[in-house]
Amino acid sequence: MIQSPPTRFEALVLPHLDAAYTLARYLMRDTHDAEDATQEAMLKALRNVDQCRGDDARPWLLAIVRNTCHTHLRRRGAGRGDVSFDEDLHTAEDDARRPDTALIRAADAEAVRRALDALPLGFREVVVLRELQGLSYREIAEIAEVPVGTVMSRLARARDRLEQLLGRMRGKEGWG
Amino acid sequence: MNCDDVRTRLDARLDGELAAGEIEAVDAHMEHCADCKALQERRIALHDALVREMPRFAAPDALRQELVRSAREAPKAHERATRRMSSGWGLALAASLAIVAVGSWQLATTRANGEMLTQTLLESHVRSLIGEHLTDVVSSDLHTVKPWFNGQLDFSPPVYDFAGRGYPLLGGRLEYVGERKVAALVYGRRKHVINVFLWPADAGMPQGPPAATRHGYHLLHWNGPDFTYWVVSDLGTAELQEFAGLLKDADLAAAAPPTSQ
Repeated sequence: MIQSPPTRFEALVLPHLDAAYTLARYLMRDTHDAEDATQEAMLKALRNVDQCRGDDARPWLLAIVRNTCHTHLRRRGAGRGDVSFDEDLHTAEDDARRPDTALIRAADAEAVRRALDALPLGFREVVVLRELQGLSYREIAEIAEVPVGTVMSRLARARDRLEQLLGRMRGKEGWG
Repeated sequence: MNCDDVRTRLDARLDGELAAGEIEAVDAHMEHCADCKALQERRIALHDALVREMPRFAAPDALRQELVRSAREAPKAHERATRRMSSGWGLALAASLAIVAVGSWQLATTRANGEMLTQTLLESHVRSLIGEHLTDVVSSDLHTVKPWFNGQLDFSPPVYDFAGRGYPLLGGRLEYVGERKVAALVYGRRKHVINVFLWPADAGMPQGPPAATRHGYHLLHWNGPDFTYWVVSDLGTAELQEFAGLLKDADLAAAAPPTSQ
């Protein structure tokens, strides 16, 4: 018997709702905005569930979530520099001082959250997709719509920045 | 391999993404380069910290339930839409749903068959919300929006500003339902968009059900003294009903002679 689309949606897509919402939380940086974006993305996924190939809907769903978040952020105004960023510009400061390995390792949740929030969107999304969702470079490349080589360089730069942010912090006043 | 070569490959090496032929060279370099070794250790420390401290979030229960409901409604909505394509209100509903992003309506009618049509219309509904063509006239001033329709339509649509009630006017645009030009007024509610479609009540247009839900979008429909209304939004039904009530009250107030009661 052929599964009707909603059954397929419930079986294949809905189990990844938390992953979708988690990605939206990291990209939108706001609970309310994340809920709105997740709802819109899930409804899009419901309507287009036929286009989801294979048995693992997660990368496909996360791509929809990611695009929806970008649309929301762009609509809100790219003037904040959330969406577009100059990769060269964002690496200029990274070589300044060598961060402290022990400090990085000991980072607490609050420090990690602030460091991630400080990352430009293009860096933040590759970190979340890799470290939290455990996706392959190829899957991330498809979701972020960039070549695999760009995923690799963005990840490297994002991690350089995180190390700078975490490895230089001295309590709460270590910023800046 | 020199340090630069290794640094551009280190992340791929740690992520298990490096080509097999290069792994050995990277690892060999680590043996005798303290700087690269230190970088590798920072990367491992960072990975440990991230995996340990990055929370995963649980989606709100209400959202999950809403999605289950939408998923179960979808096949029924699809059947109904297919069955009603031959009758009048199916077309009216389809047209309203689409907010008739003009071209896609033409496309939709020519492709008039079941799933494709439903899919296309719902898709263009969402597109009009996130796309650029939400409004032809962008203004929260009803004295800007209302005159804009002069010469565009053979009727003057009532335009209200409910900003004080939390439903600010965002603008308006022209739409087509079939061959008929109609008014589309856009109101906001927090970050939600409400589209109000209206045309003269005596225009001889098909009628529809008073309330419907399609894929999580809610539609309300009624006939006022002078105009036929369709209201479409992803807003919850309670708030959408409240908004519809504001429109009905405002129409009644406008129609009543100032001296009566």
